[in-house]
Amino acid sequence: MDIWESFKMAGRTLSANRMRSSLTMLGIIIGNASVIAMIGVGQGAQRYAAEQFQSLGTDVIFVITGTDNARRNVIAPPNRLVLADAEALATQIGVVRAVAPQINGSELVIAGNNTRRATIIGTTPSYSEVRNADVSSGRFFNADDVRRNARVVTIGSALSRELFPQGNPVGQQVRIRGTSYEIIGVMAEKGAFLGTNQDDTLFMPISTVTNRLVGQRTSPYGVAIQVINVSARSPREVAVAEFQIANLLRLRHQTTGDAAEETFTIRTQRDALEIVGNITRALTIMLAAIAGISLLVGGIGIMNIMLVSVTERTQEIGLRKAIGASQSDILSQFMIEAVILSLLGGLVGTGIGVGGVLLVAIATPLQAGVSLAAIGLAVGVSGSIGLFFGVYPARQAARLDPIVALRSV
Amino acid sequence: MLIHPTPPSLDPATPPQTQVVALEDVSKTYGLGDTLVTALDHVSFGIGATEYCSIMGASGSGKSTCMNVIGCLDRPTSGRYYLDGQDVSCLNEQDLAMIRNLKIGFIFQQYHLLPQLSALENVMLPMAYAGVSGKERRDRAAEALIRVGMGNRLNNRPNQLSGGQQQRVAIARAIVNRPVILLADEPTGALDSRTTQEVLHLFGELHASGITVIMVTHEPDVARQTRRIIWFQDGRVIHPYLKPEDLKSVL
Repeated sequence: MDIWESFKMAGRTLSANRMRSSLTMLGIIIGNASVIAMIGVGQGAQRYAAEQFQSLGTDVIFVITGTDNARRNVIAPPNRLVLADAEALATQIGVVRAVAPQINGSELVIAGNNTRRATIIGTTPSYSEVRNADVSSGRFFNADDVRRNARVVTIGSALSRELFPQGNPVGQQVRIRGTSYEIIGVMAEKGAFLGTNQDDTLFMPISTVTNRLVGQRTSPYGVAIQVINVSARSPREVAVAEFQIANLLRLRHQTTGDAAEETFTIRTQRDALEIVGNITRALTIMLAAIAGISLLVGGIGIMNIMLVSVTERTQEIGLRKAIGASQSDILSQFMIEAVILSLLGGLVGTGIGVGGVLLVAIATPLQAGVSLAAIGLAVGVSGSIGLFFGVYPARQAARLDPIVALRSV
Repeated sequence: MLIHPTPPSLDPATPPQTQVVALEDVSKTYGLGDTLVTALDHVSFGIGATEYCSIMGASGSGKSTCMNVIGCLDRPTSGRYYLDGQDVSCLNEQDLAMIRNLKIGFIFQQYHLLPQLSALENVMLPMAYAGVSGKERRDRAAEALIRVGMGNRLNNRPNQLSGGQQQRVAIARAIVNRPVILLADEPTGALDSRTTQEVLHLFGELHASGITVIMVTHEPDVARQTRRIIWFQDGRVIHPYLKPEDLKSVL
């Protein structure tokens, strides 16, 4: 019997048992739909995370004081990253576009009757450029403000809403440690990201922080700073900049490249992007694997039904053999039935999965996308599941003795 | 170069050309040692072309086993079986399937029509396994159904047909590949006496048109309508050429 004939025959048999066939397919449908939806959602999360990082700028390099090792010590070594280091980076390294030193603190901020504890970041106007941090109203402080130790601040959007629930805070005053500061700008909303909420932060000129809050000699080496935010001239020059920064700082701190002596840590967006990419990729694989289990269960469902079908249709098999069907005819007949069930289920499941992914893309910020690879994988896998789980029942059928099969009632 | 056609052999070892079924010393045993069952015990007989005969015997006499051997559903343990002049006793599974397909037409007590197919499609089935083209298949199936008087029921499903009609469809399916022998296993076992007569009449017609019909039955009334009875007892053929009118003496 030729293959087209076998397909037509299998179609007739399956449609004669419509209820059973569709229930059998349901397992594969669910499995397939969930694989495609899960991969779609996982990749959406991956893209979402990558985009969040991109919004911070791909050319950004963070120079952080101390090393993971040093921070673990009971008595922390003195902070060696100082303001002068930041100035040196800005003037001596060519591939650097902008440098923004950063002092972190935490203070009570009072506005009228409202008090909030907020993260204070003392920095320079370059911060806005390096970190893609723009104001939504007012302005960021400028070089003059820094030079004059001006008592001006820009505040994050969430902090602004909490301290000034009634409206625009620009031009109003906040009090920190008994001193009044004028709010000159509100930062655009950025959202919480990896533990720090930039919307809850208050930005102040770095000179104002050193003069009024922390003092001028916070380290034996000068004004201690926690982070230097650097942006390379272009994303391609990040690696070069990283190398030159490390060299220059080692020279200034008179250390070798020895890990035990290291006084700073350099992180780039690329490192972070890679880590997050790895995490979300693992997440996607995990989701797909869980969904894959339901595909497996669907496959076992097919095998189960095909086994029942072989038992039920023993007489049919006997008859077919009596009128000239060879073992391979019977084998291919049952295999084709199993493959049709799984492929059809796979296609329907793909449709549902794609629909689900599109729904997620519309309803959530995750840019869930339908990947052709996921569809190919799911349909391919369900087709081969049909083959794999169809083999055993089909062999049972093909091996039946026609005499016994015909006599069974 | 000259090709000399081989003249028909007169050697008694080869079966005569006119015999479509020839069993030579055929034995069939099941099991081993103490549980050894001998279903056929050195059976030898022949059935000529265009004969109309029935195989009878008590249950357990070996008539069913003999039919399975004749129908190439089973292979003899020893001995030779020639079907249409070809030794089929040592063919493999694949070749036996082909022999069943092309040379044997089966008719069963339970009709064994596929419920999901129409009468026409049921009759087309053996030709599908023979690799006949779709168009020819349809034409020949319709022709066979007309021949058994089912020309007006081509598209009915088996469950829309009476028992007698289903058996007619089954007969059409058996003859559609123009087999050498028609092998009927209790073909009237599930039918009432009127439809039994109709079906037997159909067998008579088919025989008259030149088809060899072999029928296994335990009903003397049915067997009497054939021309020859082969009587089995304890795995042996007791009467290889029993005339229907002599059946009473055996019973």
